[in-house]
Amino acid sequence: MLLTLMNEGSLLKILKINGKKETKTFLESLGFVNGADISIVQKMDGNIIVNIKDSRVAINKDIANKIIVQEVL
Amino acid sequence: MKIALVGNPNSGKTTLFNDLTGSKQFVGNWPGVTVEKKEGQIKNYKDVTIVDLPGIYSLSPYTLEEVISREYLINEKPDLIINIIDGSNMERNLYLTTQVLELGIPTVVACNMMDVVEKNQISIDLNGLSKELGVKILPISASKVEGIDLLIEEVVKENNKPSKELDVYSKDVLDSITKIENIISKETNEFLRFKAIKLFEKDEKIMVGFDKKEILKLVDNFEEKFDDDTESVITTQRYEFITNTLKKYIKKNSKQILHTSDKIDRVVTNRFLALPIFILVMGIVYYVSVTTIGEFVTDWTNEVLFGEIIPPLVTTFLENINASPVLISLIVDGIIAGVGAVLGFVPQMLVLFTFLAILEDCGYMARIAFIMDRIFRKFGLSGKSFIPMMIGTGCSVPAIMASRTIENERDRRMTITTTSFMPCGAKLPVIALIAGALFNNSGWVSNSAYFVGIFSIIASGIILKKTKRFSGDPAPFVMELPAYHLPNIKNVFRSVYERGSSFIKRAGTVILLATIIIWFLSNFGFTEGSFGMVEDLNTSILAALGNIFAPLFAPLGWGQWKATVATVAGLVAKEAVVGTLGVLYGMAEVSEEGVEIWSQLALDFTALSAYSFLLFNLLCAPCFATMGAIKREMNNTGWTIFAISYQTIFAYTISLIFYQIGLFVTTGAFGFWTIVAIALILIYLYLLFRPEPSKKYKTNVNYN
Repeated sequence: MLLTLMNEGSLLKILKINGKKETKTFLESLGFVNGADISIVQKMDGNIIVNIKDSRVAINKDIANKIIVQEVL
Repeated sequence: MKIALVGNPNSGKTTLFNDLTGSKQFVGNWPGVTVEKKEGQIKNYKDVTIVDLPGIYSLSPYTLEEVISREYLINEKPDLIINIIDGSNMERNLYLTTQVLELGIPTVVACNMMDVVEKNQISIDLNGLSKELGVKILPISASKVEGIDLLIEEVVKENNKPSKELDVYSKDVLDSITKIENIISKETNEFLRFKAIKLFEKDEKIMVGFDKKEILKLVDNFEEKFDDDTESVITTQRYEFITNTLKKYIKKNSKQILHTSDKIDRVVTNRFLALPIFILVMGIVYYVSVTTIGEFVTDWTNEVLFGEIIPPLVTTFLENINASPVLISLIVDGIIAGVGAVLGFVPQMLVLFTFLAILEDCGYMARIAFIMDRIFRKFGLSGKSFIPMMIGTGCSVPAIMASRTIENERDRRMTITTTSFMPCGAKLPVIALIAGALFNNSGWVSNSAYFVGIFSIIASGIILKKTKRFSGDPAPFVMELPAYHLPNIKNVFRSVYERGSSFIKRAGTVILLATIIIWFLSNFGFTEGSFGMVEDLNTSILAALGNIFAPLFAPLGWGQWKATVATVAGLVAKEAVVGTLGVLYGMAEVSEEGVEIWSQLALDFTALSAYSFLLFNLLCAPCFATMGAIKREMNNTGWTIFAISYQTIFAYTISLIFYQIGLFVTTGAFGFWTIVAIALILIYLYLLFRPEPSKKYKTNVNYN
């Protein structure tokens, strides 16, 4: 499921990140790696604030659409 | 001894740097605020130099900051690295640490924010972690200046050794890395491990000078065998290593606590509340700094300090020492009046700077960028452009200085070019003069000025982002939002001091020179065949120059030399437009709005030409102080000339269109300039609505 489609507050795991290598690598250095826990703090018209590895990161819709996640039950 | 300071953005790196050196420096909460290299000496150790490297998340070659840091570490080979990590966010911070340790340079890790760690009831076994990583780890709290002395003691020791090799990678990966080490050891023996790992990740920048073919063959074999990209293999194994290591040494109280920052963000960045809260905060900041405290102090500085106190004192002093009248005129009428007018804004700016520094330091500024990004992206600006524009309603100089927080170069240049379109405080008297003299003091004149400012910024954004100069990928918005915390008084003070002092310094140089020139031009001239000081401004060099350039402004409706000269005087400071017009229309002294000359001005202008005059003065090249700020922030002569030319051409054409079309509509007069105006409208429409050519370049570049 795309990150943009998930709800605020849900606990998720990153399955895959699509997109250009530059963006992907930058995201990786911020902790966006496959298997990482991620949760949505706030959604604003597709722009999202997430909590990942104990820090808050704001990403816009374009980036959020490239992150594939799975809900953790 | 040379030490490099390395760490994530928002890890408190700059604060630690200040603690270690005691130097004055700007501290912000934006990721990547330290793009320039800063050096200092460690307190009480004159022979130990420390370099503050840009805040980075990794040593990969994808951002400018990473490249700068990497190249510094590899080329300059510091004797020691201090790696500052955020104790409340270990996992991500150690990602950089594992890479730093691979360099083989002796490293001391400073674990910051230990006060926050304690408060959040997290226990970290730093000794255990230190043993496992084979590197000294010292607890500190940079903002509370705790643990700094112990850290200094540790780093100045000469016996620090490189850390042992970490057990990060799987056997297959390690085999490949060793093979690459063997290949490149023919060419180099420095940073073997670090380079080998980067080469395994197909790092193009490190590849230069090595046997690219052989290395790539090895990497390709690996990727085929394990069906994975080597770069992500390395990343994953690094994070796995970190997660597994930390499990042993970190105990968190409970996993499900909602951080205070998250709670605040739920409200502050809420879909419905974000904008109202933002408008409220900005309204308060603006109201207090511009209209209440700011105006009070500024009026006092302008009217009392530089009006009633200093000039008579200086005049009396100069008269007492028998200085020549020319010198007295130069100092009192030229320098004190000119520089004083600019310095008059200092108190107001300091109040504004203080507010902004607080907003920046407590973490709200990063949220503003996030909230505004959605809207601003549509016309080629970043969410971070909003702050400069907001400040620009006070004064363009700090506004342009504030653009430094925009790390994307393209966005920053765009912001610098368009920010001074906002009507600043000094333009308000000009607006009041025109409104009073020709529009019955109507309120819509000043309202329209703000509208014109915003319209010009939006239109320019759309036009410029389609030009080649500003083309390219818009930077994707990924930004760490720092945790909210109470502003650190030291950081706020330092930031205000830095910004304020650089403004005052400029007033002492560029503006001083400019006022002397204007004074000279307006006080000297040829009368009855001889050159000398003139009593009557009409015979001054300035008037003569005004007459030469006045025809230039005829198509805008105000080709008189007086208006021309006033516009030129506006380059010193915009409020000088009013003062100059006052002098030129024969009043020795005019009030701020120039009430005395309203009737005379009304004779020389029509409503149309007056508004056109106002438009030009609002939009054209800003005052010298702002031009100086543009030059400094662009840090490039070509870009400075581009920005100022763009503003002036934009102002000229918009005023021309307004006047000529207005004239045609009201009087039916149709002539050459009407055609020019129509042509200009068509050009602007084309520039606004043509398809974005950069999209085409983008796909081309992708295939290269």
